[in-house]
Amino acid sequence: MQLEDYNPTIPDAVTAYYLNTSGFEAADGRLVRLISLAAQKFISDITNDALQHCKMRGSQQSSSKTKGKDKRFTLTMEDLTPVLAEYGITVKKPHYYI
Amino acid sequence: MQTMAALPTGVVEIPATVNPRRKTLASAVGGIVQESGFLYAEKAAMGTLTEMLQSLISEIGRSSKAFCEQAYRTEPVVGDVVMALIDMGISIEGLQAFRLRQNRVVIAAPAQQVDLKQHNVLQVGDKKSHPQHIPDHLPPFPDTHTYCFSHTYKQPVTEYEAIREKAAAQKRDIERALTKFAAKTSDTQNLFFTDDKEFMLVGVTPNSKSYLDALMPRDQVFEEEEERTRTKKRRMVHEEGDPNHEKDRMNETQDAELDNPYLRPVKMPRKPKVKK
Repeated sequence: MQLEDYNPTIPDAVTAYYLNTSGFEAADGRLVRLISLAAQKFISDITNDALQHCKMRGSQQSSSKTKGKDKRFTLTMEDLTPVLAEYGITVKKPHYYI
Repeated sequence: MQTMAALPTGVVEIPATVNPRRKTLASAVGGIVQESGFLYAEKAAMGTLTEMLQSLISEIGRSSKAFCEQAYRTEPVVGDVVMALIDMGISIEGLQAFRLRQNRVVIAAPAQQVDLKQHNVLQVGDKKSHPQHIPDHLPPFPDTHTYCFSHTYKQPVTEYEAIREKAAAQKRDIERALTKFAAKTSDTQNLFFTDDKEFMLVGVTPNSKSYLDALMPRDQVFEEEEERTRTKKRRMVHEEGDPNHEKDRMNETQDAELDNPYLRPVKMPRKPKVKK
């Protein structure tokens, strides 16, 4: 796996900092890129699943009307919560602050 | 990438000091979400994903470090990272395909901020350098005039040449000033026939008995004072003596007083004759 010419979305410095806080001192820069790539893929999978949820919801509500607006998807907690539940992460956010 | 606020109305956001790395993570999450196809994202969703990403990176690091130490090593290797990922449930096979995907969002690393130097608008004098016992990373000394005492007077110049020069310049200036003053106050004579004001000469007061000055050399200051004291003594003697000489004396004193404009008698204004 060649990682020298790959630039992940997360900068190396940031990833390296958070790895250092947990005791991981990266001797090779490619390790840092591998980890950032893996984390990026994880988040990307979650957001793709959330997009699927959003599209399913959108197709249920409007079938033929406003197809131009369907291209504007909004990532909401309503889509994110069931996706995270599939991954085993339970998220409960209060709707309002008391 | 736009975010929709999930805060209820009435809650004012107070800007707190944000960790810059956290900010970078948030922007990276935003990039990932945008890649997936979303145009907007809820603030709560963004916060959740950022928190997840941070804890994910920390967990991968901790787990791979643990695997590394379990194998009696201190420096983690690729195998440790792979084991950690598998242990967490993240598949390795999809990584290669993920790497070669088309649309990628790359966030540039933040540029190093240069510390804005507090410019010394008015910089007077020198700054002392640190002595040996003070490390260099401490701030430098302020200007010496702010805390060092120095005398306000100058040491007198003792150089012979400088003093001679000063004396000569002073003499020249005095002569020039005096001649100018004399030319303005007393009579002036012109060397040339033109009526210029450039080459004026101080006028000579003619003395009727000019040979007296040549025959009797005068010491300017002291002889004048002696004359004054002599005239005063003569007046005292004459007062005790003849009253006949009073008139002469009075005339003499009057002549002396008339010379001094401040001692002249008062001139009353002429009364207009009342015509009946």
